[in-house]
Amino acid sequence: MGTQPGVAGGAPLSRGSILIDNVVKIYDPDGAAVMAVDHCTLDIGAGEICMIVGPSGCGKTTLLNAIAGFHEITSGRILLDGEVLCSAEKPKAEPGPDRIVVFQNGALFPWKTNLENVVFGPLMQGKLSRRDAANKGRAMMADAGLSGVEHNYPGEVSSGMRRRVEIVRALMNDPRVLLLDEPYRALDSLTKSVMHEALLEIYYKNKVTIFFITHDLEEAIFLGHKVAIMTTRPCKPKKVLTVDIAHPRDYSVLTSRRFRELIEETSEAVHEEALKAFQAGEKEG
Amino acid sequence: MSDATTSQPPGGAATDSDLEILRLATPFREAPEELLRKIAALGRRARYDAGEAIYTAGEEADDIYVTVSGRIEHIFTEEITAQDPLKRMARGGVFGWAGLLLGHTKRLATATARDPSEVIAINTEKLVAILEADRVAGGAVMDRFAAMIQQEFQLPDLLAQVRRLTGQPLTEEMSALGLTMYRLSRWISSPRPYLMLIGFGLFISFWYLSVEVWKLPRFREMPGITTVFKEWISPNPTYGLSFYTPEYYHHILVSIWRVAQAFFLATLLGVPLGLFLGWSRKFKEYAFPIFEMLRPIPILAWVPLAIVMFVATESAVIYLAFLASFFATALNTMLGVESIDESYTRAANCLGASKWQVFRHVIVPGALPFIFTGLQISIGVSWFSLVAAEMVSGQFGLGYVINTSYMMVRYPTIVIGMITLGVVGYVTSALVRVAGDYLMQWRVRELALSGG
Repeated sequence: MGTQPGVAGGAPLSRGSILIDNVVKIYDPDGAAVMAVDHCTLDIGAGEICMIVGPSGCGKTTLLNAIAGFHEITSGRILLDGEVLCSAEKPKAEPGPDRIVVFQNGALFPWKTNLENVVFGPLMQGKLSRRDAANKGRAMMADAGLSGVEHNYPGEVSSGMRRRVEIVRALMNDPRVLLLDEPYRALDSLTKSVMHEALLEIYYKNKVTIFFITHDLEEAIFLGHKVAIMTTRPCKPKKVLTVDIAHPRDYSVLTSRRFRELIEETSEAVHEEALKAFQAGEKEG
Repeated sequence: MSDATTSQPPGGAATDSDLEILRLATPFREAPEELLRKIAALGRRARYDAGEAIYTAGEEADDIYVTVSGRIEHIFTEEITAQDPLKRMARGGVFGWAGLLLGHTKRLATATARDPSEVIAINTEKLVAILEADRVAGGAVMDRFAAMIQQEFQLPDLLAQVRRLTGQPLTEEMSALGLTMYRLSRWISSPRPYLMLIGFGLFISFWYLSVEVWKLPRFREMPGITTVFKEWISPNPTYGLSFYTPEYYHHILVSIWRVAQAFFLATLLGVPLGLFLGWSRKFKEYAFPIFEMLRPIPILAWVPLAIVMFVATESAVIYLAFLASFFATALNTMLGVESIDESYTRAANCLGASKWQVFRHVIVPGALPFIFTGLQISIGVSWFSLVAAEMVSGQFGLGYVINTSYMMVRYPTIVIGMITLGVVGYVTSALVRVAGDYLMQWRVRELALSGG
C-alpha cells in the first residue's frame, strides 16, 4: 500500500484485508445467463476505506452480497485476511459478525429500541451479558452523539440518526469489515454532509476496513483511501484511484485543489459508464 | 462579562419587565402566566459591552439567553452546515439553546454583543426541570423551541432534534394506560366522536321515519324502533327477552364463552401454523395447497360433518366457530412473515443470530402487525360462524335467540338479538386491537409521530 490506511495515529491494522480474486457471478447460468460480475479483482488493505463507484444496477451490490455471504459466486474467490470466504468449491460465504452490512434502506429492527438494536449482536452471539452489552452500547452511542435516544424506537428519530445507530450496531461486534451499501442514498445533501464527517469520526475512533458502495463520485473521493470505478454490467474495476489526501479529513477537503483535480481525473470515466448504463437501460426498455 | 449581574433576590418574584420580554420570545410566547413567572424567576440579567463575547462554540452549553436590549450576533461553527450561519438578534431574540438538543451539551455557535447589550440568562437544566413539572404547557414550550430552531435558525433536521421532557406524552415513561388516556382525550377533543354521534342519529331517525312515519313498502313489515326499544327496556317483556330478564344475559354469556374458546384455540393453532408456513418453504409446499383448498369451504357446508364428528352440540358449535377463525389467523400470519423485508433477516444473520434467534427476534415481531390484523378479522368471522352454527344446532346463544324468535314470530326480539350481537362483536374486536397496541408499542409511537 502506498498510503498507510487507518492513519489517525496509531499502528496500521493487521486485520480486515480483503482480496477479491477473479470473481465471476452469473445469474441463472443455465437459462438467461446474465453476467453481473466479470473477472473482478480488487485488493483492499486492512483498515482502508475502499469506495466502489458505479452507476445504479451495475453489479456493485452483487459483489457486496458475495462478501457478506448473501449470494453465491460462480467462480474466483474472496479472501478475508488470507482465509477463503468463498470460492468455486464453496460458492457461498457464511454470514457472520466479522463482516457487517449497513443496508441501503436501513435495517434497524423497528420493533426494538435503538439500544436494543445496538446490543443485538453481542447478545445473540452470547459474547456479553445483558448488562455489559447495555453499558458498552450506551458508551458507543454517546461517542457517536446519540445520547438521549437509547430508548426511542428507530421510527422516532431522524433518518440520519438511524444510520448512525446502525453503524454503531455494526461496530459493537468489533467487525473486521463494514460493508456499506449506498447508506446515504436516501438522505438530503445537508444531512449527507453531516453524516460523512460523522462516519469519518467513527472510523478514526474504531479503525475498521470499510467497503463502501456509492454512485456519488464526490462522496467517494472525500471519504476513500481508494476509489474503484466500476464498469457497468458486467461489473469489474475500470480504474482504481488512490486518493492522496491525508486523513483525518474534514469538509475543507471539498474545496481543496487536489480534491478538484481528482474529481476531474475521474469524472470522465464515471460519466462514460453512466452513459453506457443509460443506453443499455434504453435498449432493454 | 461586565459583571452587572443584577440577579433577582433569591426566591423573589420576577419583575413585570422580565415577563414582558419573555413574552416576546418565540418559545415562551403562548406559555401561561404561571409557568412564565417560574421561568422568569430563574433568569439572571447580564450586560455585555459592544464586541464582547457571550459564549464561544465548544463551551459547555449551560445557559439559554433572551435578549433584552442591544444587538447580538450569532454565528454557527462551520461544522454546522446551517443554511445561513449568521443570525442577528434584538429584543426578544432567543439564543444559546444548544443544551436543549438531543445528544448535545456544547455550544454550536459563537454569540457576540454588537452593541452594548443586556440579556436574561436562564439555566438550561433548571428550565427543563420547570418544563417537566408542567407536562402540557412545558411540552408546548419545548415544541415551540423545536420549531424556532428549525425555522428561524435553519439547522439541518439531523441536528434540530429537541430533547424529550420526561413525563411528556409518547415517551418510554408513559404507561400503556397513560397512552390510552392520552389518545382518549385527543379523541374527545377532535370532531370524530361528534361525527360518529351524528351518524348514529341519522341511522336511527331513518329507521324510525321509514318504518313508523312514512311506512315505506318493505320497511313497514320490520319491527319499528319504538317497539324494539320498549320491548328491550321493559321489565315485563311481551316476548320474554329484555334487559330485565336473566335469560338475556345468559344467551350473551353463552355466545361470548363459545367465541372465546374458538378464538383462543384458533390463535393457539393458527399463529404457529402461519409462522411455519411463512418461515419454511418446504413446509409451505406440503401444507399450503391443502390449506388453500379447505379455506374457501363455507362454514355452513361443515355443519353436517361437525354434527357427525362431535356428539355434543356444544363442541360442534365451537368447532365451527373455530374453523373460520383459524383459517383467517393462519393466512394473515403467513402473509405477515412473508412481508418482512429480507434485509432484517440478513442483518440478523450478519450480527450472528442463529436460525432460532432470527425466528424469535425477527420473524415473530416482524409479523406481529399482520398477526393482529388477522386476529381482528378472525374474531369477526368467529362471531359470524358462531351465529350460523347456533342457528343450526344450539340451545342457547344469540344466534339461537334470533332463529327461535323467527320461528315463534317474536320480531322485536330478533332485532334485539341482532343489535346485541353487533355491540358485543364490536367490543371483542376492540379488545383485540387494544391488546395489539399494547404488544406493539413501537408501532403505536411511530403512527402517533406520523400524525395519526
